[in-house]
Amino acid sequence: MWQLIVGQLLNGAIVGTLYGIVALGVTLTFGITGIVNFALGVFMMLGAYAAWYFADTVGLPYPLAVLTAVVVTSFAGLVADQALFRFTRNNLVNGLLVSIGMIAVMESSALLIWTSTPKEMHHVLPGVFAFFGLVVPKMKLVVFGLLLAVIFATYAALTKTWSGRAAYAYAQNAEAAALMGVPTSRLQTGVVAYSTGLAGLAGALYASLYSLEPTLGSLFILKAVEAAILAGIGSVAGALLGGIILGVTEGVGSIYLPLAFRDAYGLVFLVVILLFKPSGLFAGRR
Amino acid sequence: MKQGIWIAVVATALCVLPLVFNSDVALTILVFSYLQGMLAVSFNLIFGFTGQLSMFHAAAFGIAAYATHLFMQHLGVAYWSATVLAAALVAAVSVVVGAICFRFRLREFYFAVVTLAFSEMARLTVLNWNSLTNGSLGINLQEKPPLWLPGTGIVKLESTLAWYYLSLVALGATLLVCGRMVHSWMGRCFAAIRMNDELGDTLGINVFRYKLTAFVVGNMMAAVAGSLYAYFLGSLEPGFLSIDQSLGIVAMVLLGGRSVVAAPVVGAFVLTTLPHLIHFSAEIRSIVYGAILIFTILVMPQGIYGGLWQIMRRRHAA
Amino acid sequence: MTRRIVSLVGAAALTVSVAVYAQNVVKIGQIEAQTGTLATYGWMGHQGALLAVDEINRAGGFRVGSKTYKLELISPDTRANPQEALIQLKQLLEQQKVRYVFGPFLTNVFNGIEPYATQNNGKFLMLGGATAIHAMLGKPNHDYLIRTWNWDAGASGFGQLLVDYLKKQGAQKTAMLFQNDAFGKVAVDIYSPIFKQAGIDLKIELFEPGTKDFSAPLAKLSAGQTDFLFPGYTDAVLYDIVRQATEGGLFKRFFLVRGSMAPGQKNQDLIDDYIAYLPKYFEEAEKKEPKVKAFITAYKAFYKQDFPYDQAPLCSSSCYDHVYMLVDAMKRAGTVDDVAKVKKQLLSMTYNGLWNIRFDSTGEAVFDFDVLHMRKGRAISVTRINPK
Repeated sequence: MWQLIVGQLLNGAIVGTLYGIVALGVTLTFGITGIVNFALGVFMMLGAYAAWYFADTVGLPYPLAVLTAVVVTSFAGLVADQALFRFTRNNLVNGLLVSIGMIAVMESSALLIWTSTPKEMHHVLPGVFAFFGLVVPKMKLVVFGLLLAVIFATYAALTKTWSGRAAYAYAQNAEAAALMGVPTSRLQTGVVAYSTGLAGLAGALYASLYSLEPTLGSLFILKAVEAAILAGIGSVAGALLGGIILGVTEGVGSIYLPLAFRDAYGLVFLVVILLFKPSGLFAGRR
Repeated sequence: MKQGIWIAVVATALCVLPLVFNSDVALTILVFSYLQGMLAVSFNLIFGFTGQLSMFHAAAFGIAAYATHLFMQHLGVAYWSATVLAAALVAAVSVVVGAICFRFRLREFYFAVVTLAFSEMARLTVLNWNSLTNGSLGINLQEKPPLWLPGTGIVKLESTLAWYYLSLVALGATLLVCGRMVHSWMGRCFAAIRMNDELGDTLGINVFRYKLTAFVVGNMMAAVAGSLYAYFLGSLEPGFLSIDQSLGIVAMVLLGGRSVVAAPVVGAFVLTTLPHLIHFSAEIRSIVYGAILIFTILVMPQGIYGGLWQIMRRRHAA
Repeated sequence: MTRRIVSLVGAAALTVSVAVYAQNVVKIGQIEAQTGTLATYGWMGHQGALLAVDEINRAGGFRVGSKTYKLELISPDTRANPQEALIQLKQLLEQQKVRYVFGPFLTNVFNGIEPYATQNNGKFLMLGGATAIHAMLGKPNHDYLIRTWNWDAGASGFGQLLVDYLKKQGAQKTAMLFQNDAFGKVAVDIYSPIFKQAGIDLKIELFEPGTKDFSAPLAKLSAGQTDFLFPGYTDAVLYDIVRQATEGGLFKRFFLVRGSMAPGQKNQDLIDDYIAYLPKYFEEAEKKEPKVKAFITAYKAFYKQDFPYDQAPLCSSSCYDHVYMLVDAMKRAGTVDDVAKVKKQLLSMTYNGLWNIRFDSTGEAVFDFDVLHMRKGRAISVTRINPK
């Protein structure tokens, strides 16, 4: 029995980092541009299909395919920002509507190009690590490590580099930051591009673990937003932890309670947290 | 009053419409538009006027739809009584959900998330309580609601024409109720809450009570819409309570306009009719739909109604 | 890839319905979900039907009586939404004067259009694959219904045959992991008694559609010496379930009643037994059956795309063969309008196309199918079964 629980703790943590990295994108976007960008889900989908395309059809080695996918998604995010999101700064509701529109457009385009037939990438790193009766697929561990590295790197960039601290300053007091010479609009575009890049990375790594369909982003973004809220929008480390908590809750919850309600467990947990600590678990902290 | 004349003209036109457009297809689309319009207008009471983005609306709609059928089946009541009971049930649920949310003073975005959570819980319950709801297979509704007409007595609502008038009346009633609320003292409290609820609190407005009222009343109207919709369509499915349904309602309101009670009806009408006017492949149609949403929000943030109003005002001023 | 844009000049649905009788054209309406998570059924149905329509038209149409007719396929997208489907069906029947409708495959769509369809009983035929249609066949006022997918249970059902085969493999305890949706529910209802009768212990877990990570249910199910895994019914979940189950060594033996071979083949090194029901194993059939080979060639030429081997089995329902069957039935009945006569012919004929199809007395399809058994070492044995 304990094997089951520990196994799910581990798995939940790994799946949670996927939620976490997209949650990081959500929280950065919210802090700097004032909207919750639901479209990050379709950027994740874009990254996943791009990685699959470059790895399987074009034949690039997987790491290169991932990099290319991230570049493609960041660029797409840049374009989307200049064309659309630029006009919805700090307007939650408009941002929501534009996101819905974008999701419809991009999912349908993906459907047009790749059809709803699920695509599966070749198995990059097959095999498992087995220890103490637990079994963990090797690729999942690689993804875990990579995502953690990126998240910590982001955190470091935000606290150590000039642009990072500028972003923080802006998130705390936009006017003051502008007065201090922070190039606001470039910052905002930069953050959007970076967030979509993160989503693209999540997608590219997702492609190595699961099969692809055009709708893969929708469920994920909901979880990512939940994770971001759980931790407190604006908290970077919190995004990661929020994701992990969510992943673990789902996994462990499914052992004891009916699996069919899996998605609800995270939601219930979220509601309880929000009722008692509305700013999220880690708000106030970096 | 100029507004009164406009209302009379539009109402007459809509009543006379079926005599001109005899097509069953057209009437069916209109019935759906009116019912979706009820949803949009009632949602706007909570969202546009009181400023609370509730993601619970589809749940209210779906719960009432199922409840109406279940009350008829297990309690043996007639359709209209069942509808009233269903609305009462939704009201009770809304009081609980609303009390939880507003008691804890959840801010706009978090309110949306928590109502979403409750909505999903409702959906999952409907989906998994197989013995009660037949789960994902849904339920086929065989009965037709009865209607009392002067002269003919009790008639079963079977023809699309009858449904047209019923849904038109229902929409009219919804507009009337919302209009009265918004133009009353209560409506001014809603507006105050929308603009700044903390400030409203210091001014002595019982923010909690008014938010809850708007939430419950809005959901009750959605409940009636749900009961009618299910029996017009002839079936129930857990999809009634899905997030897509809630987002669809939001889109209708944003498209139509938030500032006027009747504005969301325009949005409901456009979004219901649009898929049937564009005869392209499925994906292209979705792309067009998304593009329209994006275009509207960037170019016409006040919605179609608001945009038209602005254009008309400019003409008058010139 | 370009989809053929099949549409009529879209005067708004609000125009007065004008009866436009295009001379000598028989219209087939197709009500399926072409987009969304459950679009695979509708997609393949559309691909196959369109190909058939094109072939027949290019051959000059077909003769019934003294007239030559061409076909037209009208395929709106329901997006799995019953409201959309109802409006579309009304448009098809009232504005387009369609008499033959293919679809729906989805139960919730069928439930939404059923009352209206029943009101119009006698004016058209509906050839759909939805699970919910099964219960409606033979009911009063439901003569318009024909079900084009076979049924797992019952006298001609294939479920029993498959479980018998499974029993012979020595199965004692099987774990069923299915989607918690309409078909999942029906599958549990159908297979529980069949497994019980065969004396195989069945553990059941249902998951929310959209799940991608199955590590929790798989861990739960594999505890307790379960020998076979009986996973959910669409490729979308099969790829992930089979991969995750074999990766961890949790399961080595699989039993499927839907889905393609591809998930099994992708993980074949880790699988001991992969037993699947497949309407047809196209990879093999291509080599042995000339009609299948011709179909594949025609598909590639028409769509300028690779042939979707793993989706093709779905063409056993409301698809390519059924267009030809319909035309045949019309020829035999001597009419394109009298749907009662056409139905009578459909129910009395056996059609030999890609499949050997006939309809039983209630109007449900019975067709031949394959049982595939992939054993360790990749050898696949194919058993073709022709139900009586």
